[in-house]
Amino acid sequence: MALLEVEDLSIGYRTRLGLHRAVEGVSFSLEEGKSLGFVGESGCGKTTVGMSLMGLLPRNGEVLRGRVLFEGRDILSISEEELRLLRWKKISMIFQAAMNALNPVKKVADQISEAILAHSSSVPKAEASRQVEGLFQLVGVPKERMRDYPHQYSGGMKQRAVIAMALACKPRLIIADEPTTALDVIVQAQILEETRLLQEQLGISIIFISHDISIVADVCHDIGIMYAGELVEYGSREEVFDSPAHPYTRALLSSFPTLTGNREMLKPIPGEPPNLVDPPKGCRFRERCQEASHECSLISPAWTELFPRHKVRCIRFERKKGPQ
Amino acid sequence: MKEETGTSFLSFDGVSKFYLSRGRMLGGSGRQVVALNRLTLDIRKGEIFGLVGESGSGKTTAGRLIVRLEEADRGIISVEGQDVTHLKGKRLKDFRKRVQMIFQDPYQSLNPQLSVLDTVSEPLLIHRVGDRLSRAEMVMNALQSVGLSPPGDFVHRFPHQMSGGQRQRVAIARAMVLRPDFVVADEPTSMLDASISAQIFNILLEMQKSLGITLLFITHSLAAARYLCDRIAVIYRGNLMELGPADDVIQRSRHPYTRALIDALPKFGQCGETERFNTFLKAERESSSTVGCAFFGRCSIANRILCSQEVPPFKTVSPGRRVACFFAEEQGKNLTASKTCHYGI
Repeated sequence: MALLEVEDLSIGYRTRLGLHRAVEGVSFSLEEGKSLGFVGESGCGKTTVGMSLMGLLPRNGEVLRGRVLFEGRDILSISEEELRLLRWKKISMIFQAAMNALNPVKKVADQISEAILAHSSSVPKAEASRQVEGLFQLVGVPKERMRDYPHQYSGGMKQRAVIAMALACKPRLIIADEPTTALDVIVQAQILEETRLLQEQLGISIIFISHDISIVADVCHDIGIMYAGELVEYGSREEVFDSPAHPYTRALLSSFPTLTGNREMLKPIPGEPPNLVDPPKGCRFRERCQEASHECSLISPAWTELFPRHKVRCIRFERKKGPQ
Repeated sequence: MKEETGTSFLSFDGVSKFYLSRGRMLGGSGRQVVALNRLTLDIRKGEIFGLVGESGSGKTTAGRLIVRLEEADRGIISVEGQDVTHLKGKRLKDFRKRVQMIFQDPYQSLNPQLSVLDTVSEPLLIHRVGDRLSRAEMVMNALQSVGLSPPGDFVHRFPHQMSGGQRQRVAIARAMVLRPDFVVADEPTSMLDASISAQIFNILLEMQKSLGITLLFITHSLAAARYLCDRIAVIYRGNLMELGPADDVIQRSRHPYTRALIDALPKFGQCGETERFNTFLKAERESSSTVGCAFFGRCSIANRILCSQEVPPFKTVSPGRRVACFFAEEQGKNLTASKTCHYGI
């Protein structure tokens, strides 16, 4: 059984203008010890999916439909208290903008041991600080810096501390939301490499959320491409990168340059994503799609399985496959 | 730089900038931080010049010195032969009409209370260009040229009614509306989605081509620099490490820091077995900030005695190509990436 199974998840935000359908019918599963990357533009719903797994949707957010099975249990229907026990001990999160995720008036080590103590009341204080020391070593922050305050840390060290905090209670699943966005290219490379090693060593499952497809390329086993609240392509890293199927995936990939060969003009995706209060009928990408036909405005494309671990939602593939 | 061709438009000649760390201001002993250390380089008329480095490298400081948000502590910055390092009053104002800046974060660089029309026409008002009608026309043209079309749909919007990419276009239109000769673009896409970055890059390329604007593009990504720039300079802790034509610096890098930046780029696609240079030490070794090579503490090919004591000269290794490393000539290895391997921006 998969560690996490998400079925037909739909989430909306109540806004002045109406219900903003941020996530629509998203299904995926994640095996123990594997990593999955969600990629898409801002507003595509990737962060909302992550937040809903932690039970951390903002007040105006609501799960409209679907099930989230974690270790076989539907965590959307459990009580707040049960959720609290699950949070951090079983599922933890690395938040966007790590610099703001730490408490500025508390020593970094204390913040991490606080997380440990809050979730395992039986652990003595001395044991907790011993564990924190181990975590610092694990993420590569020198232990002399344990008693420092966040402002004394560089951006990369803060990010490492936030990762240490996510690891504090030995969770089975970590949701990493844009963990390297504000970092420099060299620090980013180090953090990505370390995340990959930690994941392999500790066998933790990771959901990696990023707007940048190049970031997830090195870290994730599977990749899900999201557009306007929907998952449009899903597959193993190799399949998605070697034979991208959805026009949106291909457009995303072609907005990155090469270092050798001719300098070819990058082809950015024209236009803007649709308004999700009143999402367009049919395929949501069709207005920006170079290959759209009249049919795309009529029918919402269904999943087509290209290979056992690679599927896509685009009408062109439905047609190719023909009726089953 | 006599060995290079092309007319120099802007030049840095031994420019240094120091900051005092906070200790001093609070009455402590304080430490002087060198943001730029005797920077010397030329930017040619009509080119896109890339300044590449990580945060704290001084690349943003260099840009801010040009548009005079800061003043250099030492050295001379000149534009078309005229010393602009310490311009004041009306001459500074006239100079700023020619030199504009696009900032990193379009969520912070636009005034939330000003409409697009007011934002883009403000520079025209400040410099008393045209009348109301002709200003409106110039704003419309500027919006059109950055792809905000039809411009009529955007003029009355406020920043919060636009996406990050649209905001950055407004910021570009604002920089371009005065028809400047020179524009500093300071990591203009680092706050934007990767898929939007390409749009912004293409707008900058178009500006250079159609208006003949000279651009300084500041970035931490060599991949972005290679896409946009004619020539690039790599900078580390305020010191120039390597300079030359973009393709040459990237494909035939000679400085270990340039190589560390190449290794660090995330990549995907059919990359094959791309060989890494591994010139970057995982654990920084102790080094002095005042003597020796600036990169000594992080360099895996350093000679412990030579590099910790002496500053490597910024020597010419081939026409138009300069490297500040004692071992530049010995670094024969070139980039082996395949043509179908894509890199992060």
